[in-house]
Amino acid sequence: MDSEGSGNSPIERNKRKKSNVKSAKKGKGSVLKQIPAEFFAENKNIAGFDNPGKSLYTTMRELVENALDSAESISVLPDIEITIEEISKSRYNSMIGLVDRERVDEELYDDFESAKAREKRLAKEARALEIEAKKPLLVKKMKDNLHGRGPKGRGDASFYRVVCKDNGRGMAHDDIPNMFGVVLSGTKYGLKQTRGKFGLGAKMALIWSKMSTGLPIEISSSLRGQSYVSFCRLDIDIHRNIPHIHKHEKRENKDQWHGAEIQVIIEGNWTTYRSKILHYMRQLAVITPYSQFIFRFVSEVQEKNITVRFARRTDVMPPVPAETKHHPSAVDILLIKHLVEESSKQNLLQFLQHEFVNIGKTHAERLIGEMGPDFSAKMPVKGLTSQQIVRIHQLFRQAKFDDPSGDCLSPAGEYNLRLGIIKELHPDMVATYASSPQVFEGHPFIVEAGISLGGKDVKQGLNIFRFANRIPLLFEQGADVVTRTALKRINWSSYKINQMQDKIGVFVSIVSTKIPFKGTGKEYIGDDISEISSVVKSAIKQCCLQLKSKIVKKLEARERQERKRNLTRYVPDASRALVEVLRELKPGKRQRLEDDELIRKVISRDITEATFREKLTQHVEQVDYEMALEYATQRGVREEPREPIYISALEGARSSSILLHGPVFAFRLIQ
Amino acid sequence: MSERKRRRGDPAAAGSSGKTKIRSDASSSPLLFKNRLKPDSIILATLQQLHAAEQSSSSTGKVPTLAELGLSSTCREVSDRDPAAVRITIEDSILAAARSILEGRGFSFSVPSRSSSNQIYVPELDRIVLRDKSSIRSFSSLSTVRKTTITVRLLALIHQLCTKNIHVTKRDLFYTDVKLFQDQTQSDAVLDDVSCMLGCTRSSLNVVASEKGVVVGRLIFTEQGDRIDCTKMGVGGKAIPPNVDHVGNMESDALFILLVEKDAAFMRLAEDRFYNRFPCIIVTAKGQPDVATRLFLKKMKTELRLPVLALVDSDPYGLKILSVYMCGSKNMSYDSSNLTTPDIKWLGIRPSDLDKYKIPEQCRLPMTDQDLKTGKDLLEEDFVKKSGGWVRELELMVQTKQKAEIQALSTFGFQYLTEVYLPLKLQEKDWI
Repeated sequence: MDSEGSGNSPIERNKRKKSNVKSAKKGKGSVLKQIPAEFFAENKNIAGFDNPGKSLYTTMRELVENALDSAESISVLPDIEITIEEISKSRYNSMIGLVDRERVDEELYDDFESAKAREKRLAKEARALEIEAKKPLLVKKMKDNLHGRGPKGRGDASFYRVVCKDNGRGMAHDDIPNMFGVVLSGTKYGLKQTRGKFGLGAKMALIWSKMSTGLPIEISSSLRGQSYVSFCRLDIDIHRNIPHIHKHEKRENKDQWHGAEIQVIIEGNWTTYRSKILHYMRQLAVITPYSQFIFRFVSEVQEKNITVRFARRTDVMPPVPAETKHHPSAVDILLIKHLVEESSKQNLLQFLQHEFVNIGKTHAERLIGEMGPDFSAKMPVKGLTSQQIVRIHQLFRQAKFDDPSGDCLSPAGEYNLRLGIIKELHPDMVATYASSPQVFEGHPFIVEAGISLGGKDVKQGLNIFRFANRIPLLFEQGADVVTRTALKRINWSSYKINQMQDKIGVFVSIVSTKIPFKGTGKEYIGDDISEISSVVKSAIKQCCLQLKSKIVKKLEARERQERKRNLTRYVPDASRALVEVLRELKPGKRQRLEDDELIRKVISRDITEATFREKLTQHVEQVDYEMALEYATQRGVREEPREPIYISALEGARSSSILLHGPVFAFRLIQ
Repeated sequence: MSERKRRRGDPAAAGSSGKTKIRSDASSSPLLFKNRLKPDSIILATLQQLHAAEQSSSSTGKVPTLAELGLSSTCREVSDRDPAAVRITIEDSILAAARSILEGRGFSFSVPSRSSSNQIYVPELDRIVLRDKSSIRSFSSLSTVRKTTITVRLLALIHQLCTKNIHVTKRDLFYTDVKLFQDQTQSDAVLDDVSCMLGCTRSSLNVVASEKGVVVGRLIFTEQGDRIDCTKMGVGGKAIPPNVDHVGNMESDALFILLVEKDAAFMRLAEDRFYNRFPCIIVTAKGQPDVATRLFLKKMKTELRLPVLALVDSDPYGLKILSVYMCGSKNMSYDSSNLTTPDIKWLGIRPSDLDKYKIPEQCRLPMTDQDLKTGKDLLEEDFVKKSGGWVRELELMVQTKQKAEIQALSTFGFQYLTEVYLPLKLQEKDWI
């Protein structure tokens, strides 16, 4: 992770790796000397490859995120197709050229079922079948189970082909082997809001495929306007960290496609991670409503096949995040050293002025003056001693700097978040809010929040959707700042929201040049950072406030509709009770004349229960009418707000591009 | 072990004796205290004094009424009324409602508010009373339509009861229209509203709660003509009738009334025939007292002019129960004049008794945070503040953070309560 940014150029490092192969094989090399693939193998869980199920999930998401980045980098609306195909064991064996062997010595296997155990299981299943027999639908399933094998053995690995096709930038023909075959090949200089968790992209997935199946990966790619498609089949020489190319050729590009298609075959587990993968796709669709995803799961069993299409809802894309320089309060000694090495600036003044944000010329001069007598503006920056760098670092810690601006960030945008929520959840109500840029430890961050009420496929209570740098976070939800805030620090009832019964969607997206993840898996943001938690809280509250007025209006309207019904419901009870008493009365004892008359009328049946019912019902209607009138005069005549609609562009017609902009629309000529 | 060490360091709890001393005392102390007991005749003499004082004082110590205090306009109180009067009142409000409906105005009731904000403690009366704030309960409002309907339904039912002059329980009342009332708390709450609204006690509405209290001892009374001798009621005692109106002709040669918080202690006293050794009437409501028990106690106290001594747990809850007997509960504050029995003497078990009678450490319990909070709240209550002795006891309890139940005395033998503790207490006139 950090080892990647530690400043060695890849060539240098590779040389060192090569020279260290022998010592690494002896096993006791230091972490720094360890070759990347071995580091990965030992730290699979950090990268999200804890178990086959999670590996399938992580592989898919790494590929999808790469695809998104690639399309966004050339400002093309992403069109991404993901296919996960289940591969049976015999098919896998034939792929690797292994002959299927029947089991000869059954007792040798872990899942061997002794005669006694089998008897027990069959008896149990028969009993269950008897019970289920009354429910005709389930019988078939049970029978299927009976014919299947017993308990699943530990050695039964499942294999999957994961294919991800995008319409992004693509890769140059000759670069492909090195882009995939060399792990930790890129170094990042500068600071930027990035999607991936470790910047390793798909490479982890490639190592996983190498580790679990040993099958090569296949890459097809074409640059924009390129007449051919590059095809490459390769795998990684893990120990030497170089690509091992099986096939590398140019093929015909018939439909002017550009982008990349990557195919890996890995061990995985669809059953356990099915819902996680689908959730991920859905949440990704929420945060990127400008892209189109087609997700397919292909299995040998027809019923298990799934195809989900997440349609595009807008063509407004967030800007590509700009690269920015470091903020002086966010650098450490190592980073300063690294910046000194890489800097093209000669003297200290220029160095301070150009390698950091928020240091102007006069400010830099004052800083140098403060550093002490051994520093001067003209001193060569490469000649700084270690002690001097420590001094600079100390000053950076103590001095006051303006906060970094959020210009370098690329939030999803309130508009997009809103569209995404509407598109995927179809809620009854939605409110969104975007915070102003804030700062934590020298890194700017923006929090965007959305709250939805109701919708389809939303369970009762709080449904929390977390996004960090525009990718969904699915794991380790419990300790996350968003979960904690929504559960503990928001008093939902004060916004007329029922935390237990309403279907509440809480969407919080945080973007930053550095997301302060907690835990090994980089799956959640700690709750202890008050800067972030207070912004999250206020963003959610702002959304709730917007919703509250809507909810109150809705409640009022509902109350108005139900008032008459609710009041009328009690008319019979009240009338009956009154008449019960009145029937018992005898005239002539009352002081008031009207009372006597009333009692006589009751006795003579001029006034009956029906009379009271009628009068009370009339009264209720009168009251309802008056209240409705009052309500209408208070509110005025109001129309339902109009929702903007999005009509997606015709496929393939994008090439002709004369856009005529009007105040409310854009007009494009289609040939 | 560590618990004990901590306590030893606590100056309030340690008293004069160290740990070893307590332990050796624990075996000898029952004997020690028993030796201090004088013959029963001397104890009886002290009780005679108490009795005589009560007999004479009660004639002079007349409790002022609200009218005498000039509070009748600002405070509300209910009184016992006969069924015919209740009937007339109900008929009047029903007729008013009927007229209002026929005129096309719907109908509404004016119901006195029973919320705590509408209650005050009157020190001259030594009880909580209800102020005169009331609210309009209208049929035409969504928020009150339900309660209004329940109110009119209950009025009809009570009218029927008063006409036929029969009694039913609150539960019976609820079952007459389960569909409308939905659950008993709703009909119970409106019932209290109705008795407030009509200005009569709940028993005048001919609605009673099921029986809970028990009495045993030197008391003879008639219940609907049946003569009942409470000395011949066995160990279980006589259930206090839900309708105290039916109780009459009380006779007693007892010297005092012993009010017991718990059933277990009551049973011990009854089985040991404590009332034969020291003539008394023993009453318990098994925890929080119900209306019937409070009415019964009040009736005994006023008719027989006997002093009342209370035996409750040494914890805030015991004191709370005592306060309900003496000052009334918040829920029934409109009827506090009929339900409260002021001037109950706190006999035991008082926090100071724990050390005085050397109740061993293992029988004392640490107070929970909730207990401490209740204790501190009680210190703020007016009825506690007016008695210096009570304040001192309560302060001691909060300070030592220890509580004990009546059963703690059983460490010295099951009969220690009846044979040593109570006689000694009475002999020493150790009540406040």
